[in-house]
Amino acid sequence: MVKIKTTKGLDIPLGGIAERFVVDMRGVKRHAVKPTDCVGFTPRLLVAEGDTVVAGQPLMQDKRDERLFLPSPVSGTVEAIVRGEKRRLLEVIVCRNTQSNQNTPSALTPEAPVWWMIKERPFGTIANPDHKPKGIFVSLRDTNPLAPDLDFALKGREHEFEAGVKALEAFAPVHCVKAEGPHPAGNIGTIVAAIDPINKGEYIWSVNAQDVANIGRWCLTGEYRPERVIAVGGPAAKCPKYYRVTCGVCLQFISEAQMMDPSYPQLNTEHLTLNTRIISGSPLSGTTIAADGFLGMYDQQVCFIEEGDKYDFMGWLMPGLKKFSFSKTFLSGLLRPLMSLRSLESLETLKTLTPNYNFNTNMHGSVRPFLFTGSFERVFPFDIYPLQLIKACIVGDVELQEKLGIYEVEPEDFALCEFIDPSKTEIQTIIREALEVLRKESVA
Amino acid sequence: MNMKWLEDWFEKIEPKGKWSWLGSTYEAFHTFAFTPKTVTKSGSHIRDAVDMKRSIIIVVIALIPALLFGMWNIGYQTAMSTGADWHWLYMWWFGFLRMLPLIVVSYVVGLGIEFAFAQYRHHEVNEGYLATGLLIPMIVPVTTPLWQVALAVAFAVIIGKEVFGGSGMNFLNPALVARAFLFFAYPTHMSGDKVWIANDLWGSDAIAGATPMGELAAGMHPSASALDMLIGTIPGSTCETSVIAIALGALLLLFTGIASWRIMLSVFLGGGLMGLLFNAIGYNEYMQLPFYYHFLMGGFAFGAVFMATDPVTAAQTNTGKWIYGLLIGAFAVLLRVCNPAYPEGMMLSILFMNCMAPLIDHCVVARNIKARESRLSRASRATRKEAHNG
Repeated sequence: MVKIKTTKGLDIPLGGIAERFVVDMRGVKRHAVKPTDCVGFTPRLLVAEGDTVVAGQPLMQDKRDERLFLPSPVSGTVEAIVRGEKRRLLEVIVCRNTQSNQNTPSALTPEAPVWWMIKERPFGTIANPDHKPKGIFVSLRDTNPLAPDLDFALKGREHEFEAGVKALEAFAPVHCVKAEGPHPAGNIGTIVAAIDPINKGEYIWSVNAQDVANIGRWCLTGEYRPERVIAVGGPAAKCPKYYRVTCGVCLQFISEAQMMDPSYPQLNTEHLTLNTRIISGSPLSGTTIAADGFLGMYDQQVCFIEEGDKYDFMGWLMPGLKKFSFSKTFLSGLLRPLMSLRSLESLETLKTLTPNYNFNTNMHGSVRPFLFTGSFERVFPFDIYPLQLIKACIVGDVELQEKLGIYEVEPEDFALCEFIDPSKTEIQTIIREALEVLRKESVA
Repeated sequence: MNMKWLEDWFEKIEPKGKWSWLGSTYEAFHTFAFTPKTVTKSGSHIRDAVDMKRSIIIVVIALIPALLFGMWNIGYQTAMSTGADWHWLYMWWFGFLRMLPLIVVSYVVGLGIEFAFAQYRHHEVNEGYLATGLLIPMIVPVTTPLWQVALAVAFAVIIGKEVFGGSGMNFLNPALVARAFLFFAYPTHMSGDKVWIANDLWGSDAIAGATPMGELAAGMHPSASALDMLIGTIPGSTCETSVIAIALGALLLLFTGIASWRIMLSVFLGGGLMGLLFNAIGYNEYMQLPFYYHFLMGGFAFGAVFMATDPVTAAQTNTGKWIYGLLIGAFAVLLRVCNPAYPEGMMLSILFMNCMAPLIDHCVVARNIKARESRLSRASRATRKEAHNG
């Protein structure tokens, strides 16, 4: 295990941290595989509605590289195939009706059902078996707001984790890194930048720590039973705690438990979603899902946040005691440094002043051109000029993007820049679109 | 506070149909009253509470101490030169009445042009002018005719900003463009070695008062003491004289993180170093002047705190900000001491460095690019070597 330490970043004081108590939710029947979560994966369906599948059986394969496939997380029947606009495949829902299969132990190969868990940078695609990565990186601390404590999540699975690391070592040196410091210290991008930055033409692979254990389980027993302990929380969650689930689990029961007002048990899930946003993944870069939606392919947290579709009277002038800002332009920013003074920590009166920040999904302003400079650098622990790179992406100057280090970043690395930006620019979208152009050029 | 009635009223009067071209104006007033209810659609689901309006309003608040002191000083200077025996409150009231038309003209003309451009382009109205519009009357002599102010504002907003695409796209500080316009178009009103003190409340009659810099340029020792200059009881442009009032604004800007401490600090460093260098030469009275006098005289402090730190026209990289600030300070003192034709060097120094800022950033970023390229070539050399050995 390697340790790195970064100082640039920000831990957003978002309320609703999961209590360290695990609810077993592995009995849930419905699970889904979502190809839209896998960047660059063009699905070709291999099953039809009503087919019987076993855990680990391919449900779809990549049209570009037929070795890559997404397997069924459980054994059962294909309940539905959900398509969106232009018949884009969104989800394949599998309903569990039998226990998972037993296989013989085998080595980790691209044909293994666990292969999709390995991601590749640049571009964040599923690892290409033809590429030789210069390292495989595993983050042992997720620093996202409300993220699960990975030591806690992996408790009892240490030997599977060890086996997973051993299996991955066949491809490249594995770096298990425990990052210290504020978010985004635990992001793969930050870790790679601190240890061995990606140059043009190089690749690195990364695996979620819990998926390393899943790979290990497959290698040890030959059983494809992908599990994760997810942290469920957020300011709008009623009882934040951990849940042990199978990958792609339907979140309906969890949503009901977290949002149901005990006094109105007759409310159905449609009513529940009116004022709360459910996010699969980090509140900084996750995906909005419906109350009966499914956990994202690579996600290990679910967050409940109030929708902020309300006007704020003279928001630009009010003192803002409950508003959180990195910039200290609100009164809450004046109190924060006071809080951090150690000598004052014991004062009870001060504790009552501690801002109980009011987080919701409001933009808190209108979109503007970039005016202010210098704050992105304070939450961006890369040897990259963030504003200059974003501008290069906006104008679509591919050559300049390469020079400024586009291959070293993923959209999630800019999540905090997007969060603190007073100009309210959609930075992660800009970076994603720029990376997609480069990715399509690289496979063409 | 229940503001539902106002929310409803705004929703009722939203321009539709044949009035929809008024969208930008409506949006400007609506967002002035209410932060919009827009929610995040992609990327980060939660956002920081700060926005452009909040950031700009912090700059305006930071200007208030200097503005209030400046108003008092206008009255004080008039009382001193006419020998009137006024109560300090009346001095402030006199200055307030002299300043008000300047501020009103600046905002009406400037915001009028901003609204017109926003309407024409179907953009939202940018808040940037709220700060610029207050800065302009604060850096001109109090006796500047209102038509000149209007003309300078129009020039600054149109040529200094809008032709480049509006706030955020300009490369020159619009407030200083306005002042430079007056300086070069109407030099008799803006010479800098003398400053005009208002003679009476309404007329344009004026008395010429000597600024410390004017006296120095003429080879005399400044008649005002360092303490006078620190407090700001000296003749000068309306609100630039009090270093203490400016320092209060600087504290707010630095605490909130709206202005760059790197720029502010390095402007003073640059000016101080240049002042010390001249002390070492010591050729004339101006060169022998203690270096800190430069911070106290003229627009140095005001420029360092409110003008040089304008993030749009300053260098945008952290290293670049140091270089940018150091050179502003150094050039300002150099111009003051070595060019008696322009006793006030701060404005020209900042405008010059505004032009140089993109070049500074280019060099700083180029160094980062070069480091990345050499890392790539090191890595590929290592791979080749490995392949060769293997």
